Amino acid sequence: MQIYLPIAELSMNLFFLIGIGGAVGFLSGLFGVGGGFLLTPLLIFSGVPAPVAVASVTGQVAASSTSGALSYYRRGGIDLHLAMYLILSSTIGAMIGVATFSALRAAGQLDLFISVSYLVLLGFVGTLMMIEAVRTLMRRRAGVVMRDKLPGQHNWMHALPMRIRFKKSRLYISVLPVLAIGVFIGWVGALLGIGGGFILVPALVYLLRVPANVVVGTSLLQVVAMMCVTLVLQAVTSQSVDILLAFCLMLGGTVGAQFGASAGKYLRGDQLRALLALLVLAVAIRFGLTLVLPPSDPFSMAIIAGRLG
Amino acid sequence: MRKLLLALMLMIPGPAIAESLVSTVSSPQVLITSSFDGATLSLFGNIEGTAEAPAAGPYNVIVVITGPLQDRVTRLKTNSFGIWSNTDSVDFRHFPSFYAVIASGKLDAIATPELLTQYAIRPEEQARLAAQSQVLKAERFGMELVRLMIEQQHFVVREDSVRFLSPTAYAVNLTLPSDVANGPFLVHTLVFKNQELVAERSEGFSVRKSGFENFVFVASRQQPLLYGLVCVLLALGTGWLAGVAFKR
Repeated sequence: MQIYLPIAELSMNLFFLIGIGGAVGFLSGLFGVGGGFLLTPLLIFSGVPAPVAVASVTGQVAASSTSGALSYYRRGGIDLHLAMYLILSSTIGAMIGVATFSALRAAGQLDLFISVSYLVLLGFVGTLMMIEAVRTLMRRRAGVVMRDKLPGQHNWMHALPMRIRFKKSRLYISVLPVLAIGVFIGWVGALLGIGGGFILVPALVYLLRVPANVVVGTSLLQVVAMMCVTLVLQAVTSQSVDILLAFCLMLGGTVGAQFGASAGKYLRGDQLRALLALLVLAVAIRFGLTLVLPPSDPFSMAIIAGRLG
Repeated sequence: MRKLLLALMLMIPGPAIAESLVSTVSSPQVLITSSFDGATLSLFGNIEGTAEAPAAGPYNVIVVITGPLQDRVTRLKTNSFGIWSNTDSVDFRHFPSFYAVIASGKLDAIATPELLTQYAIRPEEQARLAAQSQVLKAERFGMELVRLMIEQQHFVVREDSVRFLSPTAYAVNLTLPSDVANGPFLVHTLVFKNQELVAERSEGFSVRKSGFENFVFVASRQQPLLYGLVCVLLALGTGWLAGVAFKR
């Protein structure tokens, strides 16, 4: 069944949209990532103009993260105190990101910058996570008892001033690294059009030592807030949010996220992290290949913004 | 720019025209609704003579349909230091978003090369007109742009596709793709006899969204902040609803 998308100005199959929304929503609920880094390239590949895809996916990520965050909230899997600090700082980061975006576009290097930063970011995060997850899995196999929280394992970040107690996370740490992570996630998110969940989850786990049971929920809540801000910014500045496209993706995404969150209960934290690492690495390799392999068609075309008619 | 072009065309003195053309488009307005998946239009016409010189063929017809104009850029990826990136580009201003040439025979056989160039009938001519410079690079990028537009079915060249119902009456079918640009379309019909232009006529139709689709589009342009807030509410509402529905 075809449905016409008024902002994208083309028609697409309704079931295809709900289907990819659902598949990405499942992963989003499972890992606590937004899934934008998967959905946006999928839509562009299906013929949706890139600005519309980036802007509309924001809506879908907000919806599926809301649904995922709710189910974690009911299980007590969100540290609201920690999330508040992250949300405030990432909003500031997002504003800096929007400014950087304009500056890069003016310099004409936006496309290359986005591809390279995706590659570096995903590759770096994916590799780190993979190494850690494999090490944990092997240790478990060797019979070493692992705990979710590693007491006494402090790094230099825990020695910084302005310490705050996050009860839910059982942490007593400086607020400075928390704010720094928030600003960075907001900046990268606005720049690359992603929620940043795939960076935030490892940052919370490895840098702040947030226990696994609140990492995913807290990250999802942060993604919801981030995406709502970005959605409004996109609607006002680029005017390329297609509400129908977003809604079709949301329908699949929210349901998928529920199943993903339930499935997450049957997997251990280290298994989840290993799977997410695989996913992130796969996308990084895909980006890497497009940079390195000769393109099937060296020529491409695009409409210059400010279209007529 | 198009108006100027038309005015220029009309000023060019042609041969003493005995024939005139009557033509029409099956629907002057193509409305886009939620189930829109492309549209097919019919164009009809009749070549009429005068009392002294009744129309006598054989005639050849070329129908040129031009969609709303857009600014486009064609980019070239090259390999530097092992990385493929866009390194070169040419802008094309006021380039048709849709362009169809439907002819009753081979273009070369219907009209002289001079006429084909003068009226910019071939898609490549449109790229030449839209290029911002006339150097070799613009020519090459223009050819590639036309190739890409043809691959995406925004550009169509169909020879031997005008149906003659009688020696003077013809019909043409035109298919618009589902991702057709919205706006005014120009239909320019040229009638040739012995490779000479004997009659021509311009008319138009428009493609626009109707009902809910139009409402959404207008809202996103005129009330962007409100539109964005509605999107946020929709996202939060849908997420919340799914969360409640799946509560166990």
